[in-house]
Amino acid sequence: MAIAARFPGRLWRPGSRAWLGAFLMGPSAIVVAFLIVYPLSRALDLSFQKIRITRIGAPRLPFTLDNYSRALESTEFWNATLVSLAFVVLVTIGCFAVGVGAALLVNQRFPGRRVARLLVALPWAVPEVVAATIWAWMFDGSFGVINWIFLELGLTDTPIAWLSQPHEAFAVCTVALVWSGYPFVAVMVLAGLQAIPGELYEAAQMDGARAWQRFRHVTLPALRPVCAIALVLVVLRVVRDFATVFVITGGGPVGATRSLAVFTYEQAFSFYNIGYAAAVGLITLLLCAAFSSMIVRRSAGA
Amino acid sequence: MRRQAWQQAGPALGALAVCAVLLFPIWWMLVTALAPSDELRAYPPAFFPAHPSLAAFRTILFDRPMLRWIMNSLIVAGLSTALTMVLGVLGGYALSRFSSRAVRAVGMGVLLAKMIPTTLLVIPLYVLFREYGLLATLTSAALAHCTVTIPFAIWMLKAYFDSIPPELEEAAAIDGTTPLGALWRIVLPISLPGLGATALYAFILSWNEFAFSRTLLFSEPANWTVTIGIASIRGEYIIAWNEIMAASAIVAVPIIVVFLWLERYLVAGLTAGAQK
Repeated sequence: MAIAARFPGRLWRPGSRAWLGAFLMGPSAIVVAFLIVYPLSRALDLSFQKIRITRIGAPRLPFTLDNYSRALESTEFWNATLVSLAFVVLVTIGCFAVGVGAALLVNQRFPGRRVARLLVALPWAVPEVVAATIWAWMFDGSFGVINWIFLELGLTDTPIAWLSQPHEAFAVCTVALVWSGYPFVAVMVLAGLQAIPGELYEAAQMDGARAWQRFRHVTLPALRPVCAIALVLVVLRVVRDFATVFVITGGGPVGATRSLAVFTYEQAFSFYNIGYAAAVGLITLLLCAAFSSMIVRRSAGA
Repeated sequence: MRRQAWQQAGPALGALAVCAVLLFPIWWMLVTALAPSDELRAYPPAFFPAHPSLAAFRTILFDRPMLRWIMNSLIVAGLSTALTMVLGVLGGYALSRFSSRAVRAVGMGVLLAKMIPTTLLVIPLYVLFREYGLLATLTSAALAHCTVTIPFAIWMLKAYFDSIPPELEEAAAIDGTTPLGALWRIVLPISLPGLGATALYAFILSWNEFAFSRTLLFSEPANWTVTIGIASIRGEYIIAWNEIMAASAIVAVPIIVVFLWLERYLVAGLTAGAQK
């Protein structure tokens, strides 16, 4: 304080600013280094050892690439990759269909649209575990409300055992993931819609553009950057999801919903193959990184 | 005027229908939670609580360790939020006012953390916490949650600090205030809404978290959080859906209320850092 009083503003000078920044960011950098960077390096180290969870604390095992070759040769790993891929494609399409649709709807003028905007985003506030539990109950094989709807509509004659059949269980997880994921898309797209200047639409109307043409040539191009960001985040969320699938099916039946995330968890904490699980997890991370940089580069180039 | 009213009726009805479908699961949770056990298997199902009963809430709160789970969740979320806020304020202020190459590198680095699968990160964290004797303690879960909350808090607060004109601090600098003094006495007091929203958001992220908690705390039932607890009831032989839905409602309804009340502020967090 005394120094500052003698040299007013000294700490604010350009020479000090960089040090101040480092000083302020330092604590975060240290904690992130301890909780993310160092653990990741340990995961990499584990992935090069044929190690089981029971050996934690024992001396390091010899270097080996076995975990990676084992993954690439295992049908279970490729099955999990396929399941993750299928989730990514279907859930992303679902999230964008519902999210963009809801955003366009509540962007119209009508009484009560403020409330409607709040409500369409509401599933975001429901914890994933709770959402998954609700869907598991709605799709219950005997007394679930979805079965009642299907029976009433004549879509089926007998109650469907949703969670014990591969395709049905996969569909239930997809629905649950879309329900938890679409509000983010809706909020992002709504913000994007509100940022489009009204003059653009007026100009298009003066040029004689119909409603569909205005949507196609004004709305969609303006939404592209927002959608690119939302796409990356939705895909990352689906690949990384553990709670929804684990709570609804636990990865079953017969691996139909065992995504890479669930497979990693199972290998590490049900079968104790911690080195193998680390390898699978790191491969997943590589896929995520490759995908994100691809989309970011494409949208930056466009 | 008349015509306008007609034009608006379409979207209004459409929004009503869409909301009814999209929010049905939340409604169904509440209806089931309020149903007495013998009405769960009714056919056709009751879409409105015919004989609302709080029996399921009573069972879940007093015959199950629900209160203990809630307590644990509050402690974990409180700890991780406290640590997140201290680091997030400093880091966000650095990014907003004292940005340098090193500061930006850390800022971008924490954003990349969003790509790391939880199921991958939890493996080395499990090993480390076991080595340090922290495994299955509430501290371990709180620290793990910080890997999610700190990156987001830094960027949400950076965005908030950006919206505060730096002239205020410059004036203070001329009066001889140090940068930390300016942060403490000038920036933070006018940032209270942003600080509150960030803290609330971090708290919700931690309260909802499952993968880290379940892995790190599972071996010690006394330290289970609400999300582990809810997932565990379903694994039992006879499924009392009204009790599970009552537990779910206890966990979700406070968050839903907070969301409806403070949506404006929370949405800022939802999209924070997304532009980067």
